[in-house]
Amino acid sequence: MKALAAFWMRLLAFTLLVLIAGILLIEKHAPPKTGVGGDGPQSARTLGSVYAAPTQVKLVDVIPASLSGETNQDSEPFLAVQTANPQVMVASAFTPNPVSSSSNAPIYVSEDGGNSWILNAITPVPRMTCDITHAMPTGENHPRGDLHAGTLACAASITLDESESNDVSSSAVMNVQSTRSNVDQPFVRALAISKTDHIYVGVNDFNQPSGRTATVDVSVDGGVTYKSFSIEARNTAGQDGPSVRPAVAPDNTVYAAFFGWRKFNGTTATSDVVVVRDDAGGTGPHPFQALRDPSDKLPGRLVVKRTSIPWSNAPTLGQERIGSTLSIAVDPHNSSTVYVGWADHGRKGDIYTLHVRRSTDRGLTWSKADLPQTTISNATNIALAVANNGVVGLLYQQLSAGRWVTHVVQSHNGFVTAQDLILASVPADVPTQQFLPYLGDYDYLLSVENEFRGVFCANNAPDRANFPQGVSYQRAVDFSARTLTDGSGNPVAVSIDPFYFSVPVIP
Amino acid sequence: MNSSLSFLAGILSTVLLVPSAARFLEGQNNQAALAKQSSIVFSGTVSQLGAVSFVGVPQSPQTIVVRVDSVLKKPAAVSLKKGDNVTVEVKDPSAFQPGAQATFYTEGWIFGSGVAVKELGHDFNAGGGVPAEGSPTGQPALGQMQKQISDQDLQDRIASSDLVVIGRITDVHRWTIPKSAAARYHVSEHSADWHEAVLQIKSILKGTKPKGNKMAVRFPLSRDVAWVNSPKFQKQQQGIFFLKKDQVSGDPTASIGGYQVDAYTSLKPGDWLPLSDEARVRSLLKN
Repeated sequence: MKALAAFWMRLLAFTLLVLIAGILLIEKHAPPKTGVGGDGPQSARTLGSVYAAPTQVKLVDVIPASLSGETNQDSEPFLAVQTANPQVMVASAFTPNPVSSSSNAPIYVSEDGGNSWILNAITPVPRMTCDITHAMPTGENHPRGDLHAGTLACAASITLDESESNDVSSSAVMNVQSTRSNVDQPFVRALAISKTDHIYVGVNDFNQPSGRTATVDVSVDGGVTYKSFSIEARNTAGQDGPSVRPAVAPDNTVYAAFFGWRKFNGTTATSDVVVVRDDAGGTGPHPFQALRDPSDKLPGRLVVKRTSIPWSNAPTLGQERIGSTLSIAVDPHNSSTVYVGWADHGRKGDIYTLHVRRSTDRGLTWSKADLPQTTISNATNIALAVANNGVVGLLYQQLSAGRWVTHVVQSHNGFVTAQDLILASVPADVPTQQFLPYLGDYDYLLSVENEFRGVFCANNAPDRANFPQGVSYQRAVDFSARTLTDGSGNPVAVSIDPFYFSVPVIP
Repeated sequence: MNSSLSFLAGILSTVLLVPSAARFLEGQNNQAALAKQSSIVFSGTVSQLGAVSFVGVPQSPQTIVVRVDSVLKKPAAVSLKKGDNVTVEVKDPSAFQPGAQATFYTEGWIFGSGVAVKELGHDFNAGGGVPAEGSPTGQPALGQMQKQISDQDLQDRIASSDLVVIGRITDVHRWTIPKSAAARYHVSEHSADWHEAVLQIKSILKGTKPKGNKMAVRFPLSRDVAWVNSPKFQKQQQGIFFLKKDQVSGDPTASIGGYQVDAYTSLKPGDWLPLSDEARVRSLLKN
């Protein structure tokens, strides 16, 4: 009996030993916990509860695994989501062609809702764009296409191309539909209306007469033809500010916001924040003249008059330059409600201060003061969007205690109450800027069904403490050592990367 | 008889060896040209036909999957190593069978979880395996080719320059835009912030020496993305300057010491080299 008990004891001990050895072996051979290719919920499963995204936020470093050795300053991000199939998206940044200085500048493409991204060099610009924005309205019904882009080429003479791709996964270079020089900061918005892509490109067009440079290029035939309309009705300081931002509603209402520069002394622009509207998609006899200001009866409602906007083409807010951050968003189901956000000097001691205001009567009148909680000091890269349920989203980046903190704020009552999520909080002094802009002159936010999706740029150090909602990388990282690697285990320096995110819209 | 035999042997050698030597040299030249064009060169073994190695690459009869045996040339940013699977869009799929070993000269195409490239050319590895050192596609040969490529780039730069000057910068100042050119200048994040450097000429390597011993060189000081890679000059900076007549700033002339002179620009990265490159530049100028 004793012998039998001893046998069972030995068997039990042996089984336990085998079990422990097995667990140790599995742990040793398990892949590093990088969250590669995972979305929010998958990351939660992959990484364990400690890294679970509490609100199912998805945050992905867009740089692909096969470019793990790159150290570019991939700043100034933008995002387009294909309307018919939101799994297909295009992102962009100041990312050079990774292999050639003469080949085409690339875009990032995702076909799985942002979990993974490839780099495809199909823009019409050599090596790297000097500005790129885009939209994918799918009026022409191409399953992976109808990408409309506005790009600037980095050359002695800066040239705007308005171009189209019918398949963003193919190697076909985008078809240039319109081109001209002497313009700045193209900003593309588009919507499919009656199976045709209506495209609106805000540009600062120095070819316009009398310095009334704020312009919207309109195409209602998928980019085959464009017409340019100056939307500035007043005298300027020789030109308007660089940012001209259109917003389109499905009922064919088109708004555009711009900085009407009235004085400029090299360091400060005295500027109106102007909003224009068109009720027929920019196709009527007097485009963008539906709103007039009561003060002078001229087209364009002056939301704010003669505010001081600092202009600095040098590192001023941390390592970032400042001077022209502006955003406008319209409620897709109620085009009477429109939000506008911008930055100016703000209070004494502030470098750059954000403001958000709202109109609920199609831009005729605006909130007299900033909406609650939207006067934000030392911040930039404002981006607004309105979801299907009327919730407004606000993306911005704030310099706070030596860190760049990226917020996405949502509210269903004009920011009286709001949900504020911090997506990233990263050191502001690392890496050293390679050029300006450091993070970008803009980032982007848009609404897709029950999500806010967007892009921003940040220090890419794989430190989970920097990303409170969770994060996943495609490029090779070692989270335990908080280092990037080149895929062969060699360390790679920290740089600026574009990050894609998705946040559920609050009910 | 002996002399006849020697003569015959000489003829035979010429007939047999000269063409193969010529072919060898021609092959090397072709490979040098291919290597110059290629951004990624690797040796690998074909594993699949009509397939791709990762999601996001359009599959077609022209795409094959190749397992990397050795990487001979790639940019530092690209993560590619022995054992990786690469999608190659080949020119002639019928030329490849699974198991074939070749050196692929390619340009980058799509970068995702893996690398996809487009074939510019290929060499099947004789006897299989990785190309040996010293063979036309071995690593030392590639190194030699890359030096040739770098020299070729420099030669192209010399050819496209109006003047190549050895000299020293004696002054740098912001360029005041003249009224005649003011209409083309606007406030933009992409503004060049033109500056003018006065260059004291030590010697002219290419072009006709301008009047006087000094010349004006305009350059953008802006750190904007559009201009950051242009050379930025400082007082007392010496070197070799590759210059073009100014067709960018809006005013083709400058004033030095009260005289109107042609203005020049230096815009591209590499338009200035340190004096240590003088011998190399002079030697290329002789070619």
